[in-house]
Amino acid sequence: MGGGGDMKWQKDAADQNFDYMFKLLIIGNSSVGKTSFLFRYADDSFTSAFVSTVGIDFKVKTVFRHDKRVKLQIWDTAGQERYRTITTAYYRGAMGFILMYDITNEESFNSVQDWVTQIKTYSWDNAQVILVGNKCDMEEERVVSAERGRQLAEQLGVEFYETSAKENINVKTVFERLVDIICDKMSESLDSEPAMLAGGGRGQRLTEQPQGNSNPNCNC
Amino acid sequence: MNFQSKANKYVCPNDRQLSLRSKLRTGWSAARSEPPLTQKEREAIAAVVKRAEKVDEVEARRVGRLVARLEGMRRSAQGPAPRTCLLCGETSRLLAPLRTCSMCQNSACPKCVIDTPPHRSPIYSREQYMCNLCAETREMWKKSGAWFFKSLPKYILPDRRNTGRYNDSELAKSLQDGGNSSNEGKTDSEPGSPLSVHPPTFSRQPSNTESRKSISSGKFQDHDWSETDILSHGVSGLSLHRTDSLNQRPLGLKRTGSKGSAYSLRSVRKEIPKPITQVERPPTIPDSGFGTLEIKLAYDNGTSSLAVTVLRARGLIGMDMTGLSDPFCRLEVMPREGTYSNRLRTKTVHKTKNPEFNETVHFFGITESDLSTKSLEIVVFDDDKYGCDEMGSATVALRECLKSPAQLRLALSGASGSEPTGPRLLLALCYSTKRRALVVTVCRAADLPPQDSNGYSDPFVKLYLDPDPYHKKHKSSIKWRNLNPVWNEEFLFETRPTELSRQNLTVTVWDKDYGKPNDFLGSLVLGASSKGQRLKHWMDCIKFPDHRHEQWHSLTDTQHL
Repeated sequence: MGGGGDMKWQKDAADQNFDYMFKLLIIGNSSVGKTSFLFRYADDSFTSAFVSTVGIDFKVKTVFRHDKRVKLQIWDTAGQERYRTITTAYYRGAMGFILMYDITNEESFNSVQDWVTQIKTYSWDNAQVILVGNKCDMEEERVVSAERGRQLAEQLGVEFYETSAKENINVKTVFERLVDIICDKMSESLDSEPAMLAGGGRGQRLTEQPQGNSNPNCNC
Repeated sequence: MNFQSKANKYVCPNDRQLSLRSKLRTGWSAARSEPPLTQKEREAIAAVVKRAEKVDEVEARRVGRLVARLEGMRRSAQGPAPRTCLLCGETSRLLAPLRTCSMCQNSACPKCVIDTPPHRSPIYSREQYMCNLCAETREMWKKSGAWFFKSLPKYILPDRRNTGRYNDSELAKSLQDGGNSSNEGKTDSEPGSPLSVHPPTFSRQPSNTESRKSISSGKFQDHDWSETDILSHGVSGLSLHRTDSLNQRPLGLKRTGSKGSAYSLRSVRKEIPKPITQVERPPTIPDSGFGTLEIKLAYDNGTSSLAVTVLRARGLIGMDMTGLSDPFCRLEVMPREGTYSNRLRTKTVHKTKNPEFNETVHFFGITESDLSTKSLEIVVFDDDKYGCDEMGSATVALRECLKSPAQLRLALSGASGSEPTGPRLLLALCYSTKRRALVVTVCRAADLPPQDSNGYSDPFVKLYLDPDPYHKKHKSSIKWRNLNPVWNEEFLFETRPTELSRQNLTVTVWDKDYGKPNDFLGSLVLGASSKGQRLKHWMDCIKFPDHRHEQWHSLTDTQHL
């Protein structure tokens, strides 16, 4: 990073002015619009030119939510499989996931289940997920109905939004909702496990909580 | 649902299957053998990883500050005790009964609890209280992300010893910035003084090299569950393993007998006239652990005066409980001529180890021949209510001022003699766990001032602990006509080790007189709020119970009650 010593430090000092830090991860098939989605949210910019993300990237944005300043470190992952080993390494630190598919692309929707298993495999079990169907501005090319997306989300036990990075539809909403969900989870987990605070909580993983989002139709 | 039917081959696998599958490198996630990443891709990824490491480092430091804050709170807490507040030690009163913290079950006074915690879980449905310590712990878990990872993430504790320590490039930079910013941010210790002190610019930034070591790769995979004892509070409110300066630095401290000597002459002080624009980097001098001092010398032929500008000191040793000091400099041209003492001092800069003095003092009557023969002695003292401790000294030949630029950076060396001179008292402290009491042995005193017309005093010692629930006061026997009395008398104060860290032992020495009030000979306060050697003595006594800690202490001639 550029900048002289003290400039960097001043910037750091400004960055320090927040209450919570959440790490979020955007995942989904290649070209569903993850990078565009992030750029729309972080920089409010959009370009329709497709540039495949190399491995991983992130942006930092601080939001104000419920009288708290929340610093978001939003990771943008490459959808391509060749980067999978790199991207999965970042699942572990993520508190929230934005699982994205393209409403004009059937295959990206069909892969959602695979992405969910990825999350289950690599992330902490109390990580929160939001399902997002992107490119909802391209109504005439739609192949995945909003209803199907909603049903899948219900099945998975996650919330669902249709968004458009191009038209800036629901982009902010998704991030804000995810922050809210994580905040709720935070107070819930602290209230349900006061023992964790009071003492002894030396790195032990407390009993696994029942998974709220397990698939009822699943026969495993 | 067609999504399900299509996934016939892939009915939702369970976690075990998934982990096995990932090892086998089969299934959709490991199906194809991809071409290895190109050099360019690797570079791009490495750049992102590096950027992420920076963010992680900043975050680790932030969490470190949270941890340190909580630790500080815990250290200053009084510890659980029946019918006293966990935090402030307040006892239960009629109008302000103690509350019980629903988390740690300790009692705390109304000022130290928050009621009706702001959440709606069933276990808090009835009116309950949470002590500030638990509330703070909870807040720390939220802010650090520990709630998510079920333990504290990586953190870097703010390095107190190195706080504000400049590395060389920063120093050179600060020298340049120093002059420019010197008129902003006045932080004078005395109001209305023309002296301007600019704030230490980097004071919160621990040195980079230190922190880099403790950060590993940016990945979150390897959580180290390092110091989690921070999370288990409530057992004993204080942990006295202080790792700060007092233990790490050599403490060869000399204490001047009284304030008088150090305060003798006031100087003509004036504001630094011009910002220093061009500063050549002063030669670096090996730091012997007592810090460095920067001064500027200027000799004026016309008035035969020597102007010494004390710019700043860096990395001084910490003297009080928090590892900070209240330094001031005493300057003297050596050797002295006759009995005339030419001592000047700077103002005290409070609560810092990196003071910006920016003060010019003038020595008059310095001839040009003096320049080649005499030298300037600068002693840095820690200002204290009860006298001042030496924190280091440096000597510089006056001929240095003929060189240009005459800006020097001196390494401070430790105090020469460890035994105090002047009126002093030999005390032995021992916390006896068997007797559950602090045993204070008043061994002897030396060089007491004479108060009676016969040239002697009739000394005795009074001791008390403060605060002491038993209000115990002790008095030694009187040693008639003796300026170097030997008592070797033991006194017991019932107390607990946890209490000791907030108690002060006040020792006063008196001259017994009949028919008129006793004369005050000197006093001494040992305790957690004392500084330097006295603090060290006290902490040693707490840290190593059942050991006798014997030490000489200077007596102050001020009477503090």
